[in-house]
Amino acid sequence: MMEKLYAYAGKTLKVDLTREKIVKEPLDKTLARRFLGGRGLNGKLLFDLVGPKVEPLSPDNVFLMATGPINGLLGLTTGRIDVTSLSPLTGIFGNSNAGTNFAPELKYAGYDNIVVFGRAKKPVYLLIEDDHVELRDASDLAGTGVFETTDVLKERHNDAKVAAIGRAAENGVLYGCVIFDYWDAAGRSGMGTVMASKNLKAICVNGTGTIEVADPDRYYEVARDGWLALMNDFGFKTQEHPVLGTAVCVGWGNAQGWLPTRNFRESYFEGADAISGEEFRDRFSVKASPIPAGRACMSCPNRCKRFGIIRTGKYAGTRGNIEFEAIAAFGSKCGVSDFDAVFHANMIANDYGMDAVSCGNMIATFMELREEGIIDDKFLDGLDLRFGNADAMVEAIHRIANREGKIGELGALGSYLATKAISEKATYYTSNIKGMDSIACDPRAAKGFGFAFAVASRGSDHLRAHPVFEMIKLPPEIGKELFASPEAVDLRKYGGKPEMVAWHEEIAAITDSIGSCRFMHASYYTQYPVPELIHKHFKLKGEVHSVKYHEWISAATGWNISYDELLRIGKRIITVERAFNVRRGIRRKDDTLPERFFKDKIPKGPAKGEVYSKKIFNKMIDRYYELRGWDIETGLIKKETLEALELQDVLQVLSKEKLVV
Amino acid sequence: MKKLVFDPDLCTGCRACELACSFINEGVFSPSKSRIRVVKFDREGIDVPVGCEHCENAPCMAVCPVKAIYRDETYAVVLDPDVCIGCKRCMIVCPFGAIGFDEGKRMFFKCDLCRGDPECVKWCFTKAVSYSDSLEVSNAKRIKAAKKEATAQILARELR
Repeated sequence: MMEKLYAYAGKTLKVDLTREKIVKEPLDKTLARRFLGGRGLNGKLLFDLVGPKVEPLSPDNVFLMATGPINGLLGLTTGRIDVTSLSPLTGIFGNSNAGTNFAPELKYAGYDNIVVFGRAKKPVYLLIEDDHVELRDASDLAGTGVFETTDVLKERHNDAKVAAIGRAAENGVLYGCVIFDYWDAAGRSGMGTVMASKNLKAICVNGTGTIEVADPDRYYEVARDGWLALMNDFGFKTQEHPVLGTAVCVGWGNAQGWLPTRNFRESYFEGADAISGEEFRDRFSVKASPIPAGRACMSCPNRCKRFGIIRTGKYAGTRGNIEFEAIAAFGSKCGVSDFDAVFHANMIANDYGMDAVSCGNMIATFMELREEGIIDDKFLDGLDLRFGNADAMVEAIHRIANREGKIGELGALGSYLATKAISEKATYYTSNIKGMDSIACDPRAAKGFGFAFAVASRGSDHLRAHPVFEMIKLPPEIGKELFASPEAVDLRKYGGKPEMVAWHEEIAAITDSIGSCRFMHASYYTQYPVPELIHKHFKLKGEVHSVKYHEWISAATGWNISYDELLRIGKRIITVERAFNVRRGIRRKDDTLPERFFKDKIPKGPAKGEVYSKKIFNKMIDRYYELRGWDIETGLIKKETLEALELQDVLQVLSKEKLVV
Repeated sequence: MKKLVFDPDLCTGCRACELACSFINEGVFSPSKSRIRVVKFDREGIDVPVGCEHCENAPCMAVCPVKAIYRDETYAVVLDPDVCIGCKRCMIVCPFGAIGFDEGKRMFFKCDLCRGDPECVKWCFTKAVSYSDSLEVSNAKRIKAAKKEATAQILARELR
């Protein structure tokens, strides 16, 4: 008899849109054991299925959606889903993650992941109701917004969980996203645009099944300990994040001097108070209980999603979730302090199904190019895109999504490709790394974050590592003990940052792969061994609670995974992503920061005078490659590294193409 | 008497209650086997926990032809699957949709307040689901509402 696979649903759903064929296969257990699920599983499938010659928007690209072993279980946040494909925005590894109820529902329906091949002849949607899976005609939904599409499908299919794309993706905006149940976006790297290229308008799922764990008693104990770890976390106890949502970062980032302002010219926004989490709570929040409740992903006590409504004025009726990244993208980066406009911008970007970060960055880039005299109003179809002009910003979103005029034509490409099309000089004003524009943290003011941007596998990105460690004023001794340098806890310093980023990346690869959330180990520091170190350092009394992902996964699946093996699986996941990118031409030269961050000092604010030292940066890359087992000269992966991580098949492919050192 | 009190204004829609319930009662994770459910209205950002209210005049109890549903010593309205004949009348008559059916076991189930120690409450961080005396909850609400009125009266008095 085959060994039972606990914690997983046990099946893979393969959908060939060209042949209109649907196949259910048992989940590959070896793959699950080695890559867990989610991002890890998707990364390996992408490497296996998409060769170096495939074009992102061709039928040969695959669209991957995967859950992990703890999705849909009780525990500290179990609702994250991973979406992966070859990115049309960057041409490399594309990947995005969203906090949803969709992931658990997919597992209750009986499937761990979905692999979509080919291209449908006409718009379709995929309907999954437990065993019953079919492709349905979506001609009536083509061109409709995310909200209407979701409304219609929920009504039609018994309040199903819906993943939909909007008009932006259908119109070919390269950063179209997949939106789950109206507000939760797998936003970055154009995953919705890949769905659109396949004529797949939506995926609906209803599941009534059951998930079992290997050792229920042990599982309960581990899950409860993780839960208590959060309850005892210093950061969680302040209740700032749960009460204000991610928008807490507006005030926090401004105070620490890393809030990108006017397209990364500055890192301190004088209008930050007007777009802060407090302002959202007081003006828009709909749940006005003593602890504003917010909304949560599956099984999460942190509830970081804020739901609000604009009640009066020009944008009355605007509603929804807004996250820090969107506030900064349409707010400080565009120099806009009108929160109504920022909130409205976020809602229409959601309805168009367009990544708010890339869209805001694009508009901010246009604004700076205009200011620098590289483009003028005529170039911008007469739109007065000055920094701070909220009306023009909102209008620009409509034009980009509908691809109207020059703004629509270029804006749809994202800030890297758009500036490249304008002129060589213009590219200086994009915050992109490997084709992906940066999120809302100035690398000059937070050296660990900046370093994480440079080495991230999907292009500039903070979520591969999310090294908040350097921002929360931990005692230097803990930095020294964990990352061999007391400077690791200081956001302006460089010491220990490669080590710190590498560790964060490995744990993050795990949480992305099991279906849990970044915030539990890298915002709150509930991840073993940090609570233990804090306990020791502050000589705290009582029992230490911590999240031990290795024990959590072990109790759920019945495998025996140690902490060291956990980190090794993390390394394996990151290495496969690197292997995919290496085949796409990524080398050491690409692991860098935009020139602006090496050259221009931050002009004002708490981080005034900060710049990223290129000399130190290069040394940090050396160290990081050493930790990763990559070649220092080229950035290719070393043969011994692939062997040590048991990636023989990857080694074979790369050897054939002479991409191994 | 204590019962589960649901407060949609505090509910975050995280559904930990559903998972805790199915796990404690069935040993598995499955919202469809949970005695408590959260109905989500995502477009409007509203989450409503729904479960058995352990009604004073419980229609499920009244309609049961074999007395499989009765009130136990914790004042909970409970269903004895060994006595149940599966006529589904309780399911139809319940105004809250709080009686579930396990397709696999071909058996009905409902909330029994975990014999006076409801598991869902232990996982509800915001206390949207609490095990409380409804009279006390109602008293607190009355005072809260009156406080608002009193504040208005005080302000009005000062303006006079």
